[in-house]
Amino acid sequence: MSADRIIKLELSRLNLHLPERRLSLKEALSSPRPQVAARDGSMHVFKREELKFLAGLLPEADRDKLQLPILIAMEPKLGRVTARISGEVEVKVVSRVLEKEGAAGELLIYRPEVAILRRKLPTTTQYLFMW
Amino acid sequence: MAVALAVAPTRMELLKLKQRLGLAQKGYDLLKEKMDALVIEFFEVLRRIQEARAKALEQLSVAHRALSMCFAIVGTLETKQASREAKRELQVEISTRHIMGVAVPAVEVGDVERNVLIRGYGLHMTSSVLDEASKEFERALKLLIELAELEESAFAVAREFEKTKRRVNALDYILIPRLKETIKFIMMRLDEMERENFSRLKRIKAILEEHD
Amino acid sequence: MSYKIAVVGDQDTVTGFALAGATYSHIHTAREETLAKLNEFFASGEIGLVLITHRIAEELGFDFRQMLRTKRLPPLVLRIPDKTGYMPKVDELREIIKRTVGAEIMIKKEGG
Repeated sequence: MSADRIIKLELSRLNLHLPERRLSLKEALSSPRPQVAARDGSMHVFKREELKFLAGLLPEADRDKLQLPILIAMEPKLGRVTARISGEVEVKVVSRVLEKEGAAGELLIYRPEVAILRRKLPTTTQYLFMW
Repeated sequence: MAVALAVAPTRMELLKLKQRLGLAQKGYDLLKEKMDALVIEFFEVLRRIQEARAKALEQLSVAHRALSMCFAIVGTLETKQASREAKRELQVEISTRHIMGVAVPAVEVGDVERNVLIRGYGLHMTSSVLDEASKEFERALKLLIELAELEESAFAVAREFEKTKRRVNALDYILIPRLKETIKFIMMRLDEMERENFSRLKRIKAILEEHD
Repeated sequence: MSYKIAVVGDQDTVTGFALAGATYSHIHTAREETLAKLNEFFASGEIGLVLITHRIAEELGFDFRQMLRTKRLPPLVLRIPDKTGYMPKVDELREIIKRTVGAEIMIKKEGG
């Protein structure tokens, strides 16, 4: 049934903008041209000002733990107004950017906060669609 | 009113249909999330457009005023002549970047503002009014280039949004109701068939018992 | 990749942007002629940005909107006011916003 094929195609396309392998903040800062290869073949460049901003929010030790881009997970089971940030260091830094408290390793954020995050970190955050 | 699909009322078919319904619902949920993300991105570009538009249009009107003054003081013919003599080789670098998988243009331009020597209309034409007009238009051009990048990006994101919305609507109004309708129909038929079977077995049992 | 700039407008607009460095220009007189020139600009492969005034874009009407819908990037196309500052009543982006959210929304200026 071609409708099914279209659905499967759309679902497979959802996360093509994400990279196969992420870069740590430390690696990105030390690279002359910080970028990652997205799964659809395009190169995604990180803006240096964002990298510096992130570095300013974290102690030196955490910089090689922060994986970029930071993934904003949109999951239907969380409902449409909520998204999730995972990863200890990721949660730490996003909590600081949004000036809110985060429980260890996981943070739920609401749509207006997603918008703020995307505005402040347009190249170092990306959406991840999960089910 | 959803029209049921034409399928044989068997358990096999029922199972297949339930799987298809699951896929359709998953697709619907996720594409709705994608729509939400696209809206967030779209409004961010829009916000930047509002700022950029205000600046660019203000500068453009400043430029036009300077040009009018130039026409009046230096003369229309002389100004047009200068515009023909000026170096008109401004280059823009266009590459592609992506917002959430949507291809949008990234435009870079070097120095748009030039000094008189680089601008190139004959030195015999030196006039501060002409230079003013040129400078103001150079400034306007730079701002308009940025605005163009933002507007085209907004259109691209909007197009993807509308495409996604069409898919979501097709799932919501056509495919999912059809699948549900068909599933309902098959379950009813299977129920019916089972009851017919059951009563047939009862009759056979009764007949056999009679003979005993 | 590097591209040049083209302007389609009235005398003032064209002169102004030529002084600023725009390579190609076309002063609008007749509809068919301008549409043909635009086709040329779009097909050239050399032009990255086409500036065109709102007034002319409106006059060109459906044919122009159709060109915008079907064209590939580059070139980018930007509609601008001419010296009278003329802008159409219908803002395309506003129309898109209405379709996107189903309602007219004013975006508030935010402090953060």
